[in-house]
Amino acid sequence: MPIDDYSAAAQKIAAFLKTLTTLGDLRLKYRITAGAGAADPDGLEAREIYVELAGPDAGMLTQRGGELLRSLEHVAAKIIRLDPEEHDKVSFDAHNFKALRARELKLAAETAAEKVRRTGQPYSFAPMSSRERRMLHLAFRGYGDLETSSSGEGLRRFVVAYPKGYEHARERSRR
Amino acid sequence: MTQEQMPDNMQELVTEIAKALVDEPSAVEVEAVEREESTVLRLRVAPGDVGKVIGKQGRTARSMRTILGAVSMKHHHRYTLDILEEHGEKQASGE
Repeated sequence: MPIDDYSAAAQKIAAFLKTLTTLGDLRLKYRITAGAGAADPDGLEAREIYVELAGPDAGMLTQRGGELLRSLEHVAAKIIRLDPEEHDKVSFDAHNFKALRARELKLAAETAAEKVRRTGQPYSFAPMSSRERRMLHLAFRGYGDLETSSSGEGLRRFVVAYPKGYEHARERSRR
Repeated sequence: MTQEQMPDNMQELVTEIAKALVDEPSAVEVEAVEREESTVLRLRVAPGDVGKVIGKQGRTARSMRTILGAVSMKHHHRYTLDILEEHGEKQASGE
């Protein structure tokens, strides 16, 4: 379901966050941007609603690889009734976590690309969220000689980078 | 906020989040059960909404538990979440 009413969606997310700050006593401030203004200037995220969190408890959000941030993001996406494949339209951020993580992934992609070229073998990344996998796939778009795919199920799903045509060659040899 | 108010607030916190997730908010009930070291929040929703609060691969339930965990840490008291299936009748799991 596309987000057809940004202000209604933003209000629902604001109500959810207010529940956490009042009843949950989390000291968080938030700013919600929806529509064109929410777009990621780096083009790494497909977001249409951007929620920036700050305040004394914002540090909790980015601990353990941003687990709490991702949980808030997931519940918010469900509250505004996004289909699973549309969850990327909502992005929660704190202390510039998303941009920093994007930079880390870009560096990891560069290192992996160098290794795949040197060895001619596939390179498997650690399991990560669908958003982070997407960022990796995007980072590899710049390398015309390499390809990526995802492997594994659920929480264990990870990105694999390999030389262009590698998978096809293996498929053929299997027959 | 006093210590006595907290379980009530947590009960309401889970109620509010669950109501936002389901199609039948009026059917949402949350009961707080005090244990020695923690408080169990037992969430009950309409049978058709159970999947909505659990989510694909349990992701929504896990997210709610992570949120409760953060709130627990702030309050130095552990809150856990139980999601109950419809009154007495256990839902067929298909296994």
